[in-house]
Amino acid sequence: MKEEQIFQDRRARINELRAKTERMSHRQRAMMAVKHQEPDRVPIDNWMVPEIQKRAMEYYGCDTYEELQRFLGVDFRNNYGPSYVGLSFKKFPDGTVEDLWGVRRKVVTYGKGTAHEGTYSEVAESPLANMKTVEEITAYPRWASPDWWDYAKVKEDCAQYHPEFCVINVGDRLDRTAQLKPMMYLRGIQQAFVDLALSPKIVEVIRDRIVAYFTEYNHRVFKAADGEIDIFMMGDDMGGQTGPLISLEMWRRYFKKGFKAFIDIAHEYGIPVMYHTCGDVKALIPDFIECGLDILQSLQPRATNMDIKQLKHEFGKDLCFQGGMDIQHTLPLGKPEDVREMVKYAMDAAKAGGGYIVCTAHNIQVDTPIENVTALFEAYHEFGAY
Amino acid sequence: MDTLKRLEEAVVRGNMDEVKDLTQAALDANLAPLDILDQGMIKGLEVVGQRFECQQIFIPEMLLSAMAMKEGLSLLKPQLEKGDAPQLGKVVIGTVEGDVHDIGKNIVSMMLTGAGFQVVDLGFDVPAQKFLDTVKQENADILALSCLFTPTRLAMKDVIQALQEANLRDKIKVLIGGAPIDQKFCDLIGADGYAPDAPGGVQKARAWLGK
Repeated sequence: MKEEQIFQDRRARINELRAKTERMSHRQRAMMAVKHQEPDRVPIDNWMVPEIQKRAMEYYGCDTYEELQRFLGVDFRNNYGPSYVGLSFKKFPDGTVEDLWGVRRKVVTYGKGTAHEGTYSEVAESPLANMKTVEEITAYPRWASPDWWDYAKVKEDCAQYHPEFCVINVGDRLDRTAQLKPMMYLRGIQQAFVDLALSPKIVEVIRDRIVAYFTEYNHRVFKAADGEIDIFMMGDDMGGQTGPLISLEMWRRYFKKGFKAFIDIAHEYGIPVMYHTCGDVKALIPDFIECGLDILQSLQPRATNMDIKQLKHEFGKDLCFQGGMDIQHTLPLGKPEDVREMVKYAMDAAKAGGGYIVCTAHNIQVDTPIENVTALFEAYHEFGAY
Repeated sequence: MDTLKRLEEAVVRGNMDEVKDLTQAALDANLAPLDILDQGMIKGLEVVGQRFECQQIFIPEMLLSAMAMKEGLSLLKPQLEKGDAPQLGKVVIGTVEGDVHDIGKNIVSMMLTGAGFQVVDLGFDVPAQKFLDTVKQENADILALSCLFTPTRLAMKDVIQALQEANLRDKIKVLIGGAPIDQKFCDLIGADGYAPDAPGGVQKARAWLGK
């Protein structure tokens, strides 16, 4: 941590607010909220793209990301699961690299040469895209295997944050426990949607492979963690800006069983489950609850039907919420006052009785000015106090 | 039920084979190609838009409708081009630089094609210069830009700026869409219009060209 006056001044507001409200460990605070109890303040989770992490570290004078997290009062630490020890991923002359599923990926740069330059790893080629039959798909030689991972260090990796922090087993963005997402990577997004409408047999054979993989993989992760995982997070985008991507009937037909199976495994080990999905998924929420979901993550406020006040009113008794901060308009384009107002609105709407973890609805993107990042965290501490 | 009503319903159901058969049947019955387009395809598209908006249908169903329209149009197109009817406009479409998300753009592209527009689809991760060059080369009436996430939407502004610098801004309508796009953002960057979904985008394009 840099101690020059300028950094101390920038950190002063958050330090002062935290000193006033905090009376328990990060983990205690988080777990109380998940159990629908009111801790000292609303727990804070933090999703930032690496470029914003770096900018915030520079602004506050933090030498490492962990220092930044500690300073900001982030109550959660991520565990990315076991170590990959399978065959090395094939690299191709065009710069693409195979991933766990044999999907070829490439790094895409956006905002080239501007202040908001950044990169994402995107699908370049879907290996099942041109297959026409169940037999061809079954014979695909690159189905992922839980044997490709070494689980020995999971416990130690999680335990390093205990007892201070709440540990979320998040997996990696590209390999997070899901059903539709790997199907889209393998088949291509458009073909996956066509399959859902026209080729149930193809959907089922791919889905069954994916569910079988994650079922066994997660069993092994949870067993190896030996009680050191506090929250299990899965993520599968089912929402678009103006509604679910697929109908409730289709979700029930293809995905409900696997969704519940994933939750049941975590619950066997006593681990609550958080589910990430972007977009408007309101129509699916009663089914999520029925499947035993503990925490719904994202609450993208600019999507239709995802107003946190309304969701808390309708589902707050049965479901915790994580998210609710707008990265589509308010953070990148609004003023610090707008950010403050947004935080206050969500806190007023959702913090009563616990069950709310404040966070952005996705990564804070690189187009967000640092003034809005600081306004966000200051407001978290100002309005989050019970 | 008459053929055009059945065609409309086949578009709504996204039944590609039926749309092709009914388009052919309508042509065989000597119905005017423009009537087949307006009273079959476009009527179907309107229903798809309404149903999507009230969450009665979702992406898979809308995608099938778009694919079916495009197929039907492939039969209709030679006839449309033959007649004396004025040609519908030309649209250049693509996902902006840095963004590889194209499912929404593809649906719009197919629906525009299905609605009778000439569509030049540049794919995704398209640099501003490429849009500019194509607009010039094709003498396009409309430029349609798509994106999924927020940092890449700023590239839409770069494209509009490139049009301005090339003195082309007044000669073309710019339509934008994608998850993080709303009217506010459209006003902010000076685009001509935004639509929240694919059928809405097609309606807007038609309205601009006086259809």
